[in-house]
Amino acid sequence: MNFDLSEEQQLLKDSVERFVNDNYDLDSRQSLSKNASGFSDTYWQTMAELGWLGVTVPEAHGGFGGNQADTMVLMEAFGKGLVLEPFFASAVLGTRAIVAGANSDTQTALLPELIAGSCRLSLAYAEEQSRFDLEDVITRATAADGGYIINGHKSMVQHGGSADRLVVSARTSGGQRDVNGISLFLVDTKAEGVKVQSFPTVDGQQAAEVSFDNVAVTESDLLGQLDNGFGLLQDIAIDGILALAAEAVGAMEILYKDTVAYTQEREQFDHSLSDFQVLQHRMVDMFMEYEQCKSLLYRATLEVVQNGREAIRIVHALKYMVGKVGTFIGENAVQLHGGMGMTEELRIGHYFKRLLVIDAQFGNSDHHLHCFAG
Amino acid sequence: MDVNLSSEDLAFQQEVRDFLQNNAHDPKTDYAQWRLNWFELAKAKGGWDVPKWPEAFGGPGWSPTQHYIWEKETAVAQTPWDLPFGLSMLAPVLMNYGNEEQQQRFLPDIRARKVNWCQGYSEPNAGSDLANLKTKAELSEDGTYYTVNGSKIWTTLAHIADWIFCLTRTSDTGKKQEGITFLLIPMHQEGIEVKPIITLGGAHSVNMVHLTDVKVPVENLVGEEGKGWGYAKGLLAHERTGLAGISRSLVALDHLRIQASGVKRGNATLLDDPAYKSKLAELEIDLLATEFTELRSLASAANGAEPGPESSILKLKGTEIQQRIQKLTVEAGGIYSAAWGKQPVGHSFAKGGMAGYLSSRAYTIYGGASEVQKDVVAKNVLGLKKAK
Repeated sequence: MNFDLSEEQQLLKDSVERFVNDNYDLDSRQSLSKNASGFSDTYWQTMAELGWLGVTVPEAHGGFGGNQADTMVLMEAFGKGLVLEPFFASAVLGTRAIVAGANSDTQTALLPELIAGSCRLSLAYAEEQSRFDLEDVITRATAADGGYIINGHKSMVQHGGSADRLVVSARTSGGQRDVNGISLFLVDTKAEGVKVQSFPTVDGQQAAEVSFDNVAVTESDLLGQLDNGFGLLQDIAIDGILALAAEAVGAMEILYKDTVAYTQEREQFDHSLSDFQVLQHRMVDMFMEYEQCKSLLYRATLEVVQNGREAIRIVHALKYMVGKVGTFIGENAVQLHGGMGMTEELRIGHYFKRLLVIDAQFGNSDHHLHCFAG
Repeated sequence: MDVNLSSEDLAFQQEVRDFLQNNAHDPKTDYAQWRLNWFELAKAKGGWDVPKWPEAFGGPGWSPTQHYIWEKETAVAQTPWDLPFGLSMLAPVLMNYGNEEQQQRFLPDIRARKVNWCQGYSEPNAGSDLANLKTKAELSEDGTYYTVNGSKIWTTLAHIADWIFCLTRTSDTGKKQEGITFLLIPMHQEGIEVKPIITLGGAHSVNMVHLTDVKVPVENLVGEEGKGWGYAKGLLAHERTGLAGISRSLVALDHLRIQASGVKRGNATLLDDPAYKSKLAELEIDLLATEFTELRSLASAANGAEPGPESSILKLKGTEIQQRIQKLTVEAGGIYSAAWGKQPVGHSFAKGGMAGYLSSRAYTIYGGASEVQKDVVAKNVLGLKKAK
């Protein structure tokens, strides 16, 4: 057994932590989030140059050839800086769909663009009635002229406004909640009939509502097998959950450490706040829950690396714990900072907001507890 | 003991319902005008515009049951917005400790909702430890005015206030709680600067207030110099009781059920989800108990007692319940709770839900943080010595 990072992973960790430390203080981050795209094109290019965008792309296509554990290293550091660039949407979700689902022509054409950052992807899966159920799909794709016509509406597409192409789940057969009959398609956001409405999310990032009105795609835009796209969608979601959990663990670390530091500085009743036992114990709880999350993150990541989709139960456990603990740590970080914790001026509120959004992505803690219990 | 309403109480309940129904706002008419008019009409009912004021100052002199009925009925009816600062926080201090001139000068305008007050208590280094406050008030040599210097923080609605009631320090000797003086200060004057503080919900409701060489005539001193802490302590108890918001939480819980019933989960709705349903049930059970804790507190208040340590229990339980309702609203919103900005996305309630939840995190901080409230209960109710 060995929980140490490999030499390559350690280098990756050092470089991403340097990037975050150099660029992501709160003020810089807040002003970046006010850009039209909601992030920095320069940093996006930096990520391409450092090879991060191709971290999970096979070496044969010019990528780093890594797996979910490598993504974890990057995402945990991004979580510590509340990084805004659409790495998660494009390099995690979108790239997995292409690597696992696209035909070889599409891979040859698209993967170099993804690695270079000249094409950005996102995943459009959620619908208003679906809540957290991936299989609940109304958006429909109908076969026509050697391709498909897509009609429907997708919600809360991460960074949909700056994505060049979307991976879209659509129903090609079966009923609204059938696992069979779902197919995934690659859709150009500039194609006729695609309407993207971008808006900010509570964590300073961006999402979009996307509607498809008779959007034509070709046979080669089909990702994976026709009607059997659910497994691929699940694989993407599993990678997504692991990545979000790593980001959350990074954010939790900042929150508990900032709280420990603040309570040592802040004096009330002629003592540091940290002298009060009730607050000490609360911080011990925050720390313990953070460590527990980290353990489950390692466990789930390593199991998925080894067994893929078979390990889904532990992924449910992880997302449940991340949601629950993220809220616990966030709420208590604010509580122990008192009024200051309620302001936009301190960074803890921003980390808390990110954790809240993470809980709502790919199913909240209730949803995953239910899935885990079976 | 009897939980049934007497026939007199039932008649009162009907009278309240009729009043609220007959005077609901007609959207075709001007709101501001309706608001002021509503308070006039409530006044004409015999002090219904100031339910908590004592009879001697024009209040209705209701029994605890009548107060309870009023709270319940007004929580579901449309009533005009109102602010607690003048009405529920300053007014009791003026009635108990102010001189007759001050009572005549300030109470009528508070009652008519003509003047907005804000509360100048917390300071950057005096939060939970309020007695640590440093804003200095110095009496002039001729004894006619104070010069006030210092900063107040978390001052709710200072940016629309006409006056601030302020705790200031007039002496540094003795215990921290001594030497604190209660002053009434007009906001619109030189030397007062209000700086907005934007909170996590994105809202501007609290402020920093800087006071620089602000001159305050001695006529604006309430009670005796140096005795302000005692006055403020009584006021905090009033504030805490008001913060529990039990009746409003009961209404909010009903709203939450309606919202959840509109969230689809396959062929059912979120209201059929066992985990969600259990959380709603737990909330309701806590509310059923807390509602009666409040009633017991009202009953002891009716026997002339000041709100006591039970006001801390109410504040603790009441604010926790409010936070849980907000959290469940966010959960009901699902993915859409993450949406921000102006554009409507998904369920209509989802976006406001997150802002509400974030704001609600302050409930266990302001008016005495929960940890401090528990210290109060430990010391004053359980008789425990201060913990190490």
